Amino acid sequence: MNEPLEFVGQTGTVVRSRVIAKILKNPLGLAAVIVLFAMVVLAVLANMLAPFDPNFANIGKSLASGDAVNLLGTDSVGRDVWSRLVFGARTTLLSALLCAAVAIVIGLPSGLIAGYYGGKFDGVSNWVVNVLMSLPGIIVLLTVRAAMGPSVWLSMVAFGILMAPGYFRLTRTAVQSVRNELYVDAARVAGLSDTAIISRHIFSVVRAPIIIQTAVICGVAIAIQSGLEFLGLGDASVATWGVMLNEGFKNIYLSPLLLLWPALAIGLTIGALVLLANALRDALEDAEKIKAPRRGSDTAQAALTATRRRPDRNEAASVEAGTEHHLVKVSHLGVGYPQADGSIKKVVDDVSFHVDRGEVLGIVGESGSGKSQTAFSILGLLPESARIVAGSIQFDGKFTVSPTDDRVSQARLGEFRGKRISYIPQEPMSNLDPAFTIGYQLVTPMMRVLKISKSEATQRALKLLDDVGIRFPEKTFAAYPHEVSGGMAQRVLIAGAISCEPDLIIADEPTTALDVTVQADVLDLIRDLQKGLGVGVILVTHNFGVVADLCDRVAVMQNGRLVEDGDVRDILRNPKDPYTQKLLGSMLENKEPLTMLVSAGMSAGQAIARDDERDEKEMAQ
Amino acid sequence: MKFGPKSTALAVLAAAAIALTACGGGTNSGGNGGAAPTTLTLATLQDIKTFDPTDAHIGHRMPIYQAVYDSLIRRAPDGKLDPMLATEWSYNKDQTVLTLKLRTDVTFSDGAKFDAAAAKANLDHFKDAKGQDAYQAASMKSVAVVDPSTVAITLNSPDPAFSYYLTQALGLQASPKAIGTDGIKTVPDGSGPYVYDAKSSVKGSQYVFTKRAGYWDKDLQKFDKVSFKYLVDLTARTNALVSGQVDGALLDPKTGKQAEGAGLVAHKSQVDWQGILLYGRDGKISPALANVKVRQAMNYAFDRKTILAQQYLNEGTVTDQVFGPESGAYVPALDNTYPYDPAKAKALLAEAGYPQGFTLKIPTIAGYDAINAVFKQQLSDVGITLQTESIPDANYVADMAAGKYAGATFQLYQGEPWVAINQMVSTTALYNPFKTEDPELTALIKAVQNGGDKSADEAKKVNEYITKNAWFIPMFRLNQMYFSSKKIDVQPQLQQAVPSIYNYAPAK
Amino acid sequence: MVSFILKRIASGISVLVAIAFFTYCLLYFSSANIARNILGEFASQDQVHAKELELGLDRPLLTRFFDWAGSALHGDFGVSWFTSEPVVSAITTRLPVTLALVVVSIVCITIVATLLGMAAAVKRGWIDRLVQGAAVVGDAIPDFVLGIVLVSVFAISLKFFPATSSISPDAGAGAWVASMTLPVIALLINGVASVAQQIRSAVIKQLEKDYVRTLRSRGIPEWEILFKHVLRSAAPAGLTVLSLKFVGMLGGVVIIEQIFALPGMGALAVQSTSQGDIPLVMGVVLYTVIIVIIVNLLVDLINGWLNPKVRVS
Repeated sequence: MNEPLEFVGQTGTVVRSRVIAKILKNPLGLAAVIVLFAMVVLAVLANMLAPFDPNFANIGKSLASGDAVNLLGTDSVGRDVWSRLVFGARTTLLSALLCAAVAIVIGLPSGLIAGYYGGKFDGVSNWVVNVLMSLPGIIVLLTVRAAMGPSVWLSMVAFGILMAPGYFRLTRTAVQSVRNELYVDAARVAGLSDTAIISRHIFSVVRAPIIIQTAVICGVAIAIQSGLEFLGLGDASVATWGVMLNEGFKNIYLSPLLLLWPALAIGLTIGALVLLANALRDALEDAEKIKAPRRGSDTAQAALTATRRRPDRNEAASVEAGTEHHLVKVSHLGVGYPQADGSIKKVVDDVSFHVDRGEVLGIVGESGSGKSQTAFSILGLLPESARIVAGSIQFDGKFTVSPTDDRVSQARLGEFRGKRISYIPQEPMSNLDPAFTIGYQLVTPMMRVLKISKSEATQRALKLLDDVGIRFPEKTFAAYPHEVSGGMAQRVLIAGAISCEPDLIIADEPTTALDVTVQADVLDLIRDLQKGLGVGVILVTHNFGVVADLCDRVAVMQNGRLVEDGDVRDILRNPKDPYTQKLLGSMLENKEPLTMLVSAGMSAGQAIARDDERDEKEMAQ
Repeated sequence: MKFGPKSTALAVLAAAAIALTACGGGTNSGGNGGAAPTTLTLATLQDIKTFDPTDAHIGHRMPIYQAVYDSLIRRAPDGKLDPMLATEWSYNKDQTVLTLKLRTDVTFSDGAKFDAAAAKANLDHFKDAKGQDAYQAASMKSVAVVDPSTVAITLNSPDPAFSYYLTQALGLQASPKAIGTDGIKTVPDGSGPYVYDAKSSVKGSQYVFTKRAGYWDKDLQKFDKVSFKYLVDLTARTNALVSGQVDGALLDPKTGKQAEGAGLVAHKSQVDWQGILLYGRDGKISPALANVKVRQAMNYAFDRKTILAQQYLNEGTVTDQVFGPESGAYVPALDNTYPYDPAKAKALLAEAGYPQGFTLKIPTIAGYDAINAVFKQQLSDVGITLQTESIPDANYVADMAAGKYAGATFQLYQGEPWVAINQMVSTTALYNPFKTEDPELTALIKAVQNGGDKSADEAKKVNEYITKNAWFIPMFRLNQMYFSSKKIDVQPQLQQAVPSIYNYAPAK
Repeated sequence: MVSFILKRIASGISVLVAIAFFTYCLLYFSSANIARNILGEFASQDQVHAKELELGLDRPLLTRFFDWAGSALHGDFGVSWFTSEPVVSAITTRLPVTLALVVVSIVCITIVATLLGMAAAVKRGWIDRLVQGAAVVGDAIPDFVLGIVLVSVFAISLKFFPATSSISPDAGAGAWVASMTLPVIALLINGVASVAQQIRSAVIKQLEKDYVRTLRSRGIPEWEILFKHVLRSAAPAGLTVLSLKFVGMLGGVVIIEQIFALPGMGALAVQSTSQGDIPLVMGVVLYTVIIVIIVNLLVDLINGWLNPKVRVS
C-alpha cells in the first residue's frame, strides 16, 4: 500500500451510543428502569420498610383511611395496606421471576439444541411446543390448582412450562438464522467446537431477544396471577398484589382506595416491564433518534436549522438563468446525517455536475464515496434522517431541492418519480416485492402513472419483457420474484424502469450483483435502450470498465467530494487528479485491457440466448 | 406525507362508538314507568341442577322450583304451616303415621290430575332417587293411598321435622306422567302458578316463567312473568340490582351500602350462624380440644362485638348458642355465657395444662380467608396458633365430613331444632364426623325426638348442654341482606336464605 | 396444499390426544371428593360410596381414560356429573357466547392495532412515543380492572350500557351489541398493545427494505406502498401474535365473563375445574383445543397466501 490517502470531503464520525445509555436516554426507558428499580428495592427491603407483618390483623381498625400509623390505611380485617403492598412486591415479583426462570430453563437449551442440530430432536420438540401452545392457559392453571392446591409457586411453575415455547421458538429461530451465517462456517473451519460456537456467537445474538421476552413474560405472569387471585382462586394467606386486588373489589363501595394501590402497583410494574422491553428493542435495532438541536447552540445541526428548512410545497423558486436546458443540474450539493452529539456527518460535500438529455454520465468512486447518496438525492429516496446541508438540485429547469431546503421535496419529486425519473437498483432480488407476481409489479405502476387500462398495461408489460431480452415473457409475467434468477430479475427491474418512458434513468451499480457473463448482457441492454429511447442516464459504478463501455462523461468522487469530471476519453486517458490516477492505476496497471467476457466465436446475440437458456433451466426447476 | 386513510378509519371507529352508545342503554332498565309492574326479575346465587324436584335443595334454589311446582304444605313467611296441595294433616298418637287430606281440583300443566296416587308416586320416587335432599325422606317407611284424596305416610320413628320437610323438596309435586323421566330435567311439569318459557330461557343464565292460566289459587299469582337471573358474582349481582336489571337480589353488608345509596329497600333476616366448629372433640387430631376447658377458653378469646362491627358492619347479632331465636330451643340467657375475656381464656388454658397455648390447624377457602385472619389474630392474643390451610372450594365440606381436620370455620343455617340436631349434634350428623357423644346428651336427644309438640322445649336442654360444653364457638347470627327495588314488596322467609316466591308482590 | 392441510390436521389430532390424556391425568388426582360434593352435605356414606361406583371412580386411570376416549370418538362426551346435562349441549349453548366475544375483540384489536402500529412505524417521532405509551398503559392495566371501571362508569353512573350481559336469546341484535360493547372495549384496550408493537416492528423492518425504495421510485403513492405492499409482508408477524392472543383469550375471558355475567365458557371452566366435574372439564378443554388447532391452521393458510415463498414448504 502506498501512503494513506488524504481524507477529504467526508467530515465527522459516526457516533454510536452504548445500549444502556440508549435506554436511559429514551424517556420511556428511563422511567421504566426507575419504576422497576423502585419495585425491586421495595421487595428486597420489605422487612425494613414494612412497619407491620402483612398478616397482622388489627381487628378494631378495619377499612381505615391513611394516617400516621397506617400510611395507606388498613384493609377489611385491619391489616396494614402499605406492609402488604411491600411484602406483596416480594412475592409477586419473585413468582413472576420464577415463571420466567422455569420458562427459560426449559425453552432456551432446547431451542439452542433444536436450532443448531436440527434432526429428530427438532421434530419432537416442535411437536411438544405445538401441544403446549395449544393448551388454553387459564384452564390448565385452573385444573392444576384443583388438583394440587392454590399455591402461588406451583401455579407459576405450571405457567412457566406453558410459556417455555416462546423462548424455544425465539432461540431456535435466532440460532437457525445465525447458523447459516458465514461467520459460523468460518468459525467451524477455524476449528472451534460446537459448544464454543454456540456460546460465543449464537448466544450473543440470542441474548437481546431473550431479555426482551423475559420482560414481557414477567408482565404476563403478573397479570395472570392477579387474575386468578382476583377470581378468588389464589392462596389468600399469602399477601400478593392480586390478593389485595381481590380484597379491594370486595370492598369497593366502602373503600375504593383499597383497590387503587394494588392496581397501581400491578399496572406500573407491568407497564415498566413492557416499556423496558420496548426501549431495549429500540436500542438494539433502530438507528439513533436525533433530537433537534437546542436553539443557540453552536453545533453544526444548529447552523443547519438556521439556514435551511423544510421544503415549501408551493414554492417556485426559479433556477439560475441559463441552466434550464440541463436535464439535471446538481450545484454544490451537500448531504449529511445528524449525529447524537449535534454534529453532522457529511457524506456528500460540495458536489456539482450536470446531465443533459440523451447523455450518459458515469459517477465513479470506491465504497463510501457518496456516489449512491448523490444518486438518491436526485431521486428523493434518501433515508428519513438525511439532510441536505448545502446546494441545490434542479430537474428540467425546476428545483427539486432549492437552496433553502433541508430535504428533498417529496411533493415535487413525487410527480417525477416513475414517470420522468426512474431507478434501476443494484441488487435485483431484494428490490422486488416477494409477495406479488412480476407481472403485477410491472402493470400496476403503469396503470397508475400512465393512466391506462389493465389490459393495455399487460400488453405493454409483455412487450417490455420481450424488449429486455426475456425469452418467455408470459411465464415470467406470472412468476414470483423468488422463482426467477438474478439476471432475469434485473432485466425485469430494467423493464420497470423504462416502462413509463422516463427522461432520466438513474442506475445504481446495476450489474455489480450479477454473474460476470450476465453483466455483459445487461450492459448491452442498457446501452441499446438508452440509444433507442434517447434517455439520459446517470450510471453509478465503481467499475471503470463499465464506464468505458457505456458513458459519455464521467465524474469521479472520493469521500463525498467530486474530484474530477469530464469527457470519458479525456479522463481515462489523461486523468488529472492524483486520486483518479490512483484509481485507474490500480485497475489497469500491468493488466490486459478488460474486454467483454464473451467466448471466442460467439456473437453478442448468441451470448444472450445462452444466458436465457440458463435462466429458463433455473425457472423450470 | 399525509396519512389520510388512518384518520378516516379513526373517525369511522369514533362514529361507530357513538352509534352504539345511542342504540344501547334503556334496554333493561326495568323501565315500566309508573304502571304496576307485571314482571318480577330476581337474581339468584345458585343455579339449579335440573328441573327434577328430586334435585331441589333447601335455600336459594327453592323459589325457582316454587314457581312451577306446588308443595303439599306451604310455609308462611313466619314459619307457620299453611295448607297447599294438602288441606289438613295430623299425626297418630305415637307420631309415626301422618295422614294428609288432599285437594281435588288441581291439575298439572300437562293435564294430569293431582290425587293421592300422584302424591304417593312423588314421595316414593323422592326417596328412591337419593337426590341432594334425600335425607328429608330418611325417616319415611312407606306411603299408602287411603282414598283418592287421602294419603297416609308411615315413619320409621318420630320425626319432628317431617311436616317441615313437606314444605321443602320432599313435598314438591310433579305430574305423575313426568316423574322419573329424562324430560322433566329440562322442562318442568308441575301444578304451580307459573309455567316455564323455554324459548326465553338460557340454562345457566336465566330462567323465565309466565303466568299459568287456570291456576287454582289466584292469590298466589302476583305477576304475569317471573324470571331468575343466575348471577353468582357479587359485583355483577350488585351492578344488576343497582342498575335496575333485577328487582331483588341477595347482597352482603358491604355491597349493601351501595344498594342503600341507590335507594333500594333492605330486608334483613337472620338465617345462619357463623363461627368455628370444634368437632375434633375426641382429641384424636388435636389433643387439646378434648379438654372442655380449652374449648371454653377459646370461646372467651373472641371480641364478638368488635368483629361484627368491623367485618360485618354490625349487620347481625352476637350469639353464644347455635340455635336461633325462632327455633324454640333458644335460651336468651345463654348468650352471656362467654363474654370477651382474654385473661380468663389464658387462665382456663393454664388450668387445662396448656399455659403456652397450642396449635390448631383448620382449612380455609376464599370466602373465609378474611374472617379467618381475624380469628387467627384473636386466638394468637391468648397464645393459640391458628394454622390455616388453603384447600380447593369443592373439598371444603367433604374434608370436614371426612374428619381431616379438628375444626373449621363455617356458617350453618339455623333450622328447626330437630333439623339442627341432626345437622351437627347427633352421632349421625354430618358435622359431627368424629361422632362424639355423651350419655347425658344422648338421653336429651331422645327426649327431643319423642317430644311431639314439646320437642322444642326439650331441645332447650340440648342447647344448654352443647353451649356450656363449648361444642362450638358460635360468633354471630348474620343478617341476610336482601335488597329489592321500590317497585315490589317482599317479605323475608323464616330460616330460608331468600324469600319464597309467594312473598313477592307489586308495591302498593 | 391438500397434503399440507392433511399433515396439519394429523399433527393437530396427535396434539389433541396428548392434551386429552394429560388433562385426564391431572383431573384424576383431584377427583377424591367428587361423590361427596355431588350428593351434598347430607348424603350418607353409603350413598356416597354408591355414587362413586356409579361414576367409576374406583377403576384404574387408564381404563377410565380409554372408556372416555372411546365414547368421545363417537361424539358422546357424557353428561356432567353435577348437573346431568349432556356435556355437548352444555358446551354448545355456551361456546357461541365466548367465541362471539373473542372473535369480535380480535377483529377490533386487529384493526386498531394495525392502524396504530403503522402510524407509529411511519411517523415515528412523537406519534410513535404516544402510541407506545398509550399501548403500554392499556397493556399494563389488567382487562378485568378495565372491565370494572367501564361498568362503574358507563353502565351504572351513565347508564349507557347494561350492567350485565345476560340477555334472552330472542332479545334482538341491538341489545346483543349493547351487551357486548363494554366487555369488548375492556379486552380491546388491553389487547392492542402487543399486537401494535409487533406490527410496528414488522413495518419498520419492511420499510427499511430495498423494494420499498424501488416501489417509490416507480411513482407508487405512499399509502398504497404502506397498505398493499408493506402491510402484506409485515402481516405474518402480526398474525402470529394475534393467534397467540386468540388462544390466550379463549381462557382469559373467564374473568371478564364473570364480571359481566356473560353465560359463556368461562364460568363453565371455573366451575367444572373447581368441582372436578371430569366429563365437563374434558369437554371444555377439548373443544377449546380443537378451536385453537383450527385457528392455527387458518393462520398458516393465510400466511401461505400472503407469502408465496412459504407456500412451497
